[in-house]
Amino acid sequence: SCKSSCSSHSDILSSSVRSQDPNQRRVLDSATRQRRLTRQLEALEKDNFQDDPHASLPQLVKRLPQFDESNESGKRRKKTRGDHFKQRFRKNFQTLLEEEDLSVSEGPNYLTACAEPSKFPLRHFCALCGLPSNYTCVSCGARYCCVRCLGTHHETRCLKWTV
Amino acid sequence: MSTLVLDNGANFAKIGYSHEKVSVIPNGQFRSKTSRLKTFTASQLDEIKDPSGLFYILPFQKGYLVNWDVQRKVWDHLFGKDMFKVDFADTNIVITEPYFNFSSIQDTMNEILFEEYQFQSALRINAGSLSAHQYFHENNSELCCIVVDSSFSFTHIVPYCRGRKMKEGICRINVGGKLLTNHLKEIISYRQLHVMDETYVINQVKEDVCYVSQDFYKDMEIAQLKGEDNTVMRDYVLPDFSSIKKGFCKPREEMNFTGKYKTAEQILRLTNERFAVPEMLFHPSDIGIQEMGIPEALVNSINNMPEEMQPHFYKNIVLTGGNTLFPGFRDRVYTEVRALAPVEYQVSVVLPQNPICYPWEGGKLLAENPDFEEMVVTREDYEENGHYVCEEKFDI
Repeated sequence: SCKSSCSSHSDILSSSVRSQDPNQRRVLDSATRQRRLTRQLEALEKDNFQDDPHASLPQLVKRLPQFDESNESGKRRKKTRGDHFKQRFRKNFQTLLEEEDLSVSEGPNYLTACAEPSKFPLRHFCALCGLPSNYTCVSCGARYCCVRCLGTHHETRCLKWTV
Repeated sequence: MSTLVLDNGANFAKIGYSHEKVSVIPNGQFRSKTSRLKTFTASQLDEIKDPSGLFYILPFQKGYLVNWDVQRKVWDHLFGKDMFKVDFADTNIVITEPYFNFSSIQDTMNEILFEEYQFQSALRINAGSLSAHQYFHENNSELCCIVVDSSFSFTHIVPYCRGRKMKEGICRINVGGKLLTNHLKEIISYRQLHVMDETYVINQVKEDVCYVSQDFYKDMEIAQLKGEDNTVMRDYVLPDFSSIKKGFCKPREEMNFTGKYKTAEQILRLTNERFAVPEMLFHPSDIGIQEMGIPEALVNSINNMPEEMQPHFYKNIVLTGGNTLFPGFRDRVYTEVRALAPVEYQVSVVLPQNPICYPWEGGKLLAENPDFEEMVVTREDYEENGHYVCEEKFDI
């Protein structure tokens, strides 16, 4: 059985990118890897990965009144519904956080409340199958657990997968 | 005079009059690929027959209310004739806000409640404070409790002593249900099938199959086994919204362990994903978020409290929020805190029967409190004194 696993090993190695000249294979530096990780984490905060179904609708159709609006009684149309208030009501999170100017505040606040890093050792998991991983892809830093997963990673995802 | 209690969450609004029961309604607007012209608001989500590729328009970002256009549209619907038919001049409102809510958002909230909707009076409060109120009512000999609120946007751990929150002990872990669902979408898309656009469907998968492991490495070993020995593996049948309206797990007798399925169903095979996804609540660093998990943060929070209070906090840990519904969540929190806590302290972790509505129940209780009138700010109060009176009275 050692013989058969050795031959399948070399099959994978010969068809994978590892057999190429290492100088030809792009290697990301740690700053780039950190940027990719940050982008991945930010993507986890998204509400939608697809476009708004209404985005391509012609303008005329978009102005069709919704049932709620047409049934509102006159006294509900207060000044706060006017256009000049709209910008204030739609700021994004980052802007609001900056406006709060927490660096000058004393005592506990949104920023100080954030949990500190864990004191326990980190664990790593294979990006392909989710099992515990001991190895890192030389090019992009993705984790893998065995040569088979690395082969699949190089063939399909290495430096190609973005959210 | 009636009181409307609204736990205004980033995912769901838990709303109801204090003398009636609570309703759990999506807090957002939705668009569907099939009903292309309409925007569905809040409970109208039920009218969508095919939620594939469902598009979400949510008023909250990272747990804070930033888009008032959308929030008002949802509230118009909730307060209007189709739902709660609020008579504003005759109604108090108890409404929740996140911890450390930004002052600009608090000011806008005052304006919207008093100047636009014109509620007779309002009480703005953190949801966790309502949970603590409910807990102390159910356990009236206890002086301290520590509330874990693990919900859509994040997880907060907040110690309370004699009804007041201890600000220095508030800890926020930036892992919530939204992140868990997005991560599950990503690993399924990476390993099996492109589902990045299917938040609604995969969220249902998460709720149906995920659980919290009591022994992570052991479950990992079982998840690697082949065939029927892999008791962790499940095959999930995805809905097609024509013959299959809702996704479901294949019963084990019907699972095909050796070959491929002959039917036309789209099937997801889930093994370690089932427990690796909720594991992020316990080890955010698994995914690269350099923060403590829930048990470590609980112990850390309690250790920052005065020493004489610490045993009281360990004895009164309350779990709230949707993420606590994962099977095994409560037991895992108990086991880990027990291992980290001093051996002479008693550890007790309580999961209420309905962890999503627990704050609302606290709000209902507060509305019935004889001191309630003194806690609120009336519209006359606000019109005379402005934001100042709200800053004084409300502890957000």
